[in-house]
Amino acid sequence: MKIKILVLTIFYFIGSFNLSYAANSEKVDQISKNLRCLICQGQSVYDSQSDFALSMKILIQNKIDEGKNDEQIYDFLKSKYGEWIVYDPEINKNTVLLWVLPLILFVFGGILILRKVSIK
Amino acid sequence: MLNQIGNYSLYIALLSSIIIIIQSPILLNRNNINISGRIFSLISIQSLMIIISFFALIIGFIISDFSNETVYNNSHTSKPFFYKISGTWGNHEGSLLLWLLVLSIFLLIFTITSKNLSNKYRILTLFFQEIIILGFLLFILFTSNPFMSLFPIPNEGSGLNPILQDPALAIHPPILYLGYVGTSIIFSSSLAALISGSVNKSWAKHIKNWVLVSWIFLSIGILLGSIWAYYELGWGGFWFWDPVENVSLMPWFCLTALFHTILILEKREMFHSWAVILSITTFSLSMSGTFLVRSGILNSIHTFANDPSRGVFILCFLFILITLSIFIYFFYQNKIKNNFTKTHIVSKETAVLVNNLFMMFFLSVVLIGTVYPIFLEVVNNDKISVGPPFYHKLIVPFLIPFLIFMAIGPNLNWIKDKTNKINLQQLLFFILSIIISFIFLKRVGISYLFSLPLFIASFFLFFITIKDFSVKKTNLSQKISHFGFSLFILSVLVNGVLAKEYSSNMKVGDERKFLNKTIKFESLKVNESKNYQSLEANFKISDKNNSINLKPEVRVYDQPQTITSEADIKSTLYSDNFLVFNILKNDGFYNVRYQIKPFMIWIWISIILISFGGILSIVKKNG
Repeated sequence: MKIKILVLTIFYFIGSFNLSYAANSEKVDQISKNLRCLICQGQSVYDSQSDFALSMKILIQNKIDEGKNDEQIYDFLKSKYGEWIVYDPEINKNTVLLWVLPLILFVFGGILILRKVSIK
Repeated sequence: MLNQIGNYSLYIALLSSIIIIIQSPILLNRNNINISGRIFSLISIQSLMIIISFFALIIGFIISDFSNETVYNNSHTSKPFFYKISGTWGNHEGSLLLWLLVLSIFLLIFTITSKNLSNKYRILTLFFQEIIILGFLLFILFTSNPFMSLFPIPNEGSGLNPILQDPALAIHPPILYLGYVGTSIIFSSSLAALISGSVNKSWAKHIKNWVLVSWIFLSIGILLGSIWAYYELGWGGFWFWDPVENVSLMPWFCLTALFHTILILEKREMFHSWAVILSITTFSLSMSGTFLVRSGILNSIHTFANDPSRGVFILCFLFILITLSIFIYFFYQNKIKNNFTKTHIVSKETAVLVNNLFMMFFLSVVLIGTVYPIFLEVVNNDKISVGPPFYHKLIVPFLIPFLIFMAIGPNLNWIKDKTNKINLQQLLFFILSIIISFIFLKRVGISYLFSLPLFIASFFLFFITIKDFSVKKTNLSQKISHFGFSLFILSVLVNGVLAKEYSSNMKVGDERKFLNKTIKFESLKVNESKNYQSLEANFKISDKNNSINLKPEVRVYDQPQTITSEADIKSTLYSDNFLVFNILKNDGFYNVRYQIKPFMIWIWISIILISFGGILSIVKKNG
């Protein structure tokens, strides 16, 4: 039971924190912040003024006007440009370690500490 | 001429390094003498030679001596004097020479300040430090020599990347390097202490200063980099989770953990092995940082040098050092005192362990996030990007318990605290935090209700750290640093939630409404400067009560031809007004981005406070 609650709480937190992203109400901004500008050096589409980024923003705007939701837009972009374009890698067999490894380390470290302390 | 001076002095330094490395084992067997005058003078000569070569390079930059390839590639006669000097370390070769300079000067300082410590420990530290110096000397001389001659001598240089022509960024590398390189002494001395069986109280006491010094420089170095990114990159952010930024953050987490561990080692003679492991890790991370930045492996805006063969050298060197330290660790591990007793779950010792756990977790998130894409690409050619959303999702949920532990931990007693005592004061502050967070988020908008736990934890830490100033038990430097940290978290959160941004395409004369403000594009003029032309815009931001003028620029540098946007920022204690504009292709229109960033200045102030706590701790102890 305890574990169930813990897991639920963790998922609740992971799912709900997107602080700096929530700050902007504009949907295009929100999506373009999560996209890499492919022709720039380490800039997001949102931050870049390159032709690529500008046309990308128009593309996103068009997709929103067509009534596509976030998921559909990301999927479309990923199929067109590859996984590389999104800053938020989804969990699949390639990235499962990326997401899980730090958590495993944390649990492992926690166990080590618990073994070194006495409760009484 | 300067090239020869630089080259020869580096070779002499190389020679001294080799002599010291050969002589150290011989001296080790003579326990009765202090470090002989001979070794000391060799170290002095080495430092002197490296200083001379460094000055030779600076002079080369100042007088624009284009017979030097490095100067030719990175300087220009029309560059302002200040940036001619900073150009010395604004490039690959020069920045490595700076690394080397700091390495040797730190070793000299170590030798002078460690006179009352055991001979064996000092010589061993010297030995390991000289291995690092030797590695860097070889690296510089054979892959990145800053003193290559050019013939025929060109008339003009090709200039320094204009985004590097900035006061904050001019001093950012030296400060950061002082932090990075400081960890080399920690590394060498921890190995020396391990071998000489002196990982104990007095070692902790001695190395604590070095940990603090590195930590302070690293903190300030990161701060300068962030400030620069804030106003120069023109995005209004100060941290992008860019690989090169991450690389400086990793040793910071490690040093923070190490510092807390060293305190326990000093006071309670515990966690010996862990302190040594952290010391080795910290330096390995600093070295990897240099490797990742300098090899061009990372896809990052900061990567100015791209040469894989250099990367391979650093990688091999790093591999040798890490393997060596792992061997030494396992070979001499049994020399470490093992008087381990279990600590009580509610005690300061446990609190430090918990601090370390979180630091290691944050470190692992950043480390894995930074290197995972590289490995994935090598292994199966898949390219993925790991950006801000990844770091936020993994770090933020853990930040909540971390902040609460940080509030409670420092108030615990050593060995064992009374568990049955419910701390009424803390409970009161916790309830207060809940109320304040709730009201605050309610006013901002209900959609942020999910952030409630995070705000509660930060306010809680904030109140507790303020309250702690009235408690006599802990020392002042700790209070200041911890308070600075709570202020930092709170400012970042409030800034993140309350920041407002407006972006639009405007031409001169246009007026736009944003919130209760009017943004007017008043005028545009062209300025001529020594090495660039600039387009200076004048915007008037006004609301009912007052108005401010913001004058951002777009600069066109001629050497090399580059366009940069210079944001104009008006800071007050409450918020920053940030405006930046860019040239668009269609005539007459400019992309204008205006941001209101509340409490921005407190982010900087809080980091200064955090570092100041460290400085105070050093001054107090030695004063």
